[in-house]
Amino acid sequence: MIEVRNLNKSFDDKQVLKNISAVFENGKTNLIIGRSGSGKTVLMKSIIGLHQVDSGEILYDNRDLTKMRFKDIKELRKEVGMLFQGSALFDSLTVFENVIFPLEMFSSMTKKEMIDRANFCINRVNLTEAKNKYPSEISGGMQKRAAIARSISLNPKYLFCDEPNSGLDPQTSLVIDQLIKEITQEFDITTIINTHDMNSVMGIGDNIIFIHEGKKEWQGSKDEIFDCNNQNLNDFVFASDLYKKIKNVHHNF
Amino acid sequence: MQLELFEQFYKVKCFLFSKTKKLLNRNLRIVFLYFCRQNTDFMEWLKTVGQYFILIKTVFTKPDRWRMFFRQLPKEMENLGVNSLGIVIIISIFIGAIMTIQTKLNTENPLLPRYSTGLVTRDTLLLEFSSTIMCLILAGKVGSNIASEIGTMRITEQIDALEIMGVNSANYLILPKIIAFVTLMPFLVIFSMGVGLLGGYMVAAFTDVITVSDYIYGIQYAFIPYYVTYAIVKSLVFAFIITSVAAFYGYYAYGGALEVGKASTKAVVNSSILILLFNLILTNLMLV
Repeated sequence: MIEVRNLNKSFDDKQVLKNISAVFENGKTNLIIGRSGSGKTVLMKSIIGLHQVDSGEILYDNRDLTKMRFKDIKELRKEVGMLFQGSALFDSLTVFENVIFPLEMFSSMTKKEMIDRANFCINRVNLTEAKNKYPSEISGGMQKRAAIARSISLNPKYLFCDEPNSGLDPQTSLVIDQLIKEITQEFDITTIINTHDMNSVMGIGDNIIFIHEGKKEWQGSKDEIFDCNNQNLNDFVFASDLYKKIKNVHHNF
Repeated sequence: MQLELFEQFYKVKCFLFSKTKKLLNRNLRIVFLYFCRQNTDFMEWLKTVGQYFILIKTVFTKPDRWRMFFRQLPKEMENLGVNSLGIVIIISIFIGAIMTIQTKLNTENPLLPRYSTGLVTRDTLLLEFSSTIMCLILAGKVGSNIASEIGTMRITEQIDALEIMGVNSANYLILPKIIAFVTLMPFLVIFSMGVGLLGGYMVAAFTDVITVSDYIYGIQYAFIPYYVTYAIVKSLVFAFIITSVAAFYGYYAYGGALEVGKASTKAVVNSSILILLFNLILTNLMLV
């Protein structure tokens, strides 16, 4: 479980995060949603430790990241997997080499164990046929799956996904969403997903946190979102005609 | 009495000196701070220099896994060193040949011995061309390669991915490049010297500008082995400058493709300037 308490973060004189407190439970897909520029990426990067916060606490199972020494942060990061918006696979390595890379870097496994683990992760994301290909030779969806395989190779306790569906078609997006949800439940991971894809919100939103202009305005599940009275959230979620209709159907039902 | 007076005088002198010194220090500090506040470019320069040394400190730490370091090292040696052999051969052979022709044409004097052409060609190659000019050319090839590779990794979040895994990205990416290039640079320089001299030999063999025997005698005459040591020391320093400066600009590239291009250009320009500056310093230290 990850918990943030009273997080504040400013860039020069602009305050981007304003006193944010939230709990991200394990075994659930926790979504951070909000408009572009609302501060959701800054929040995620602050939780990971890529940004230093001005004040507040970031607790990884009661271990406060803000009070950790550099060495401890490095150790903590071995428990963290991350799926980047652009996959961030290493260009010079094949899919298999990308997946085995964290194992070679940090695990104390034997060579055979590493190969088995990498193959297991690749099979888990259904990418066996492309394991010897370079990132430039596979599609965007496959790159995302390869990145998921790499992020789970060290058996992380925490998984961060920064806009996992950006640049993907709706069908592939569903596959990625479903894969993330399955992995979260299967390995009991605390997953935090940063997204503004409404299909993801409605599909896998176990715990949703809505950020507006740097403030947490709402927290709840995908089922509670229809009964929410927050105007900013309603404007954001039900912006399209399709979701307006779905909301009406939900209320009439 | 005289002694007391002298002691008094000495105390007053010390007091005045310390006061003047404090006043001077204080005034100098004020002037410096005023200069810094007024001159934002100077502050930016100071910031860049500080950032460079912080990066170098991060690079020269113990690798997370030596096995991974030794796996990267031969790849970098091939990429930065072996793949530069082609350009080194082409440039050295032509410059060696041209230098021989030009030296001969500009020293047409009966008072000068015939072997002077070979001697001048050899010393120019050893002292300046193979160590400095070759490094300036390699700053363009290797420097832009490193800056654009690391810069692209930065903007495509590959470096962030390494950091999140807990890898010291600066150490993992930059250290093998620096070690590989610094190790191979002396060989490239010696190779360039040999090929340059071969270029001159080809002029002697295939044209009638100079005879082969005069050229061979010239390149052997009054040979000072220390010149080779001097060239190797220079090349080690330049190799470090090329790789570290290029890696620095690539590592701190932010934005998109445009910024990677700018980082690459800055890397080549600044490493070339530093090479020229250190060439002057090292020549002054080692030859004067």
